[in-house]
Amino acid sequence: MSGVEAGEFKIVFTGPMGAGKTTAIAAISEVEPVRTEVENTDRVAHAKESTTVGFDFGRITLADGSVVRLYGTPGQMRYRFMWDILGRGAAGVIVLLDASAPGALVQLDVFVDAFIPHVAHGALVVGVGRTDVPNAPSTDAFAARLDARGIVAPVLSVDVRRQGDVMMLVRTLVCILGSHTAHGVPA
Amino acid sequence: MSKVRPAKLSRELARKVLEGYGEVAGVQCAVLFSSDGFEIASHAADAAASARLAAIGSSLAALGTALAGEAGLGDFERTTIESNGGAVTIMRVGSSRSMSLAVVAGKDAVLGQLLWATQRCCQALAKLLDP
Repeated sequence: MSGVEAGEFKIVFTGPMGAGKTTAIAAISEVEPVRTEVENTDRVAHAKESTTVGFDFGRITLADGSVVRLYGTPGQMRYRFMWDILGRGAAGVIVLLDASAPGALVQLDVFVDAFIPHVAHGALVVGVGRTDVPNAPSTDAFAARLDARGIVAPVLSVDVRRQGDVMMLVRTLVCILGSHTAHGVPA
Repeated sequence: MSKVRPAKLSRELARKVLEGYGEVAGVQCAVLFSSDGFEIASHAADAAASARLAAIGSSLAALGTALAGEAGLGDFERTTIESNGGAVTIMRVGSSRSMSLAVVAGKDAVLGQLLWATQRCCQALAKLLDP
């Protein structure tokens, strides 16, 4: 986490295809985000028109002047190699999930397992969308899933289209970072 | 989906084009892939290798598109990764952004010749896939 002391650090948004990583970064970035979206030809995996195959990049400045570089990963397993490239040097990770998608709880495991090795002190926050869809697991179900594996991480219900919701995820992560560094990043 | 996923017949023809291209000095393998990282046809690469090349190649093409756009240079055409063991070229096929070709070449390949041959191959593929 060498970047934290320098007042500039990196946060990675990850999660499966269609969880809203590109939307979340666009919702909060103070610069026009860099996007690498292409046409999605795998409509079986997800019905959406386009999908990120490189990475998203945005930036925000916190109240204390710290600059946060925001990176979004591709969600599909075939882009697993990008997860490690983007995870390297990250101060913290935000895992986004769509509760109404099949296997959302299993997806939580997949992304937590992939990114936990990259972040110190468990700097990880989970944002779950569409928990209001009938039969979708609640945020408690996601928290219990983490708890059962001995992982302590906040799980928040979010609508990634809302700037306030996404900023809440970032602030929560920054709080975790601040509590673990001598020259912590104030929220 | 059918717009970018060619029918079986054209896949077979694409594979034939790649086979001919495989004769170019130094070419080790070639993979034609969709912009979202799926293999469409390949030559001299096994299924696992071509799937990985397709995924990584699509990321590079997308990053190339983003970088060219950022620099105000228009559309992505190609990028070449050179290493001490050889070179990999990713080249866009046709004028659409729907597919690209990745070519792996050894040290014995002459880069200029490789790029010229790859361009010819991409032109043949473009005709085939979007007649």
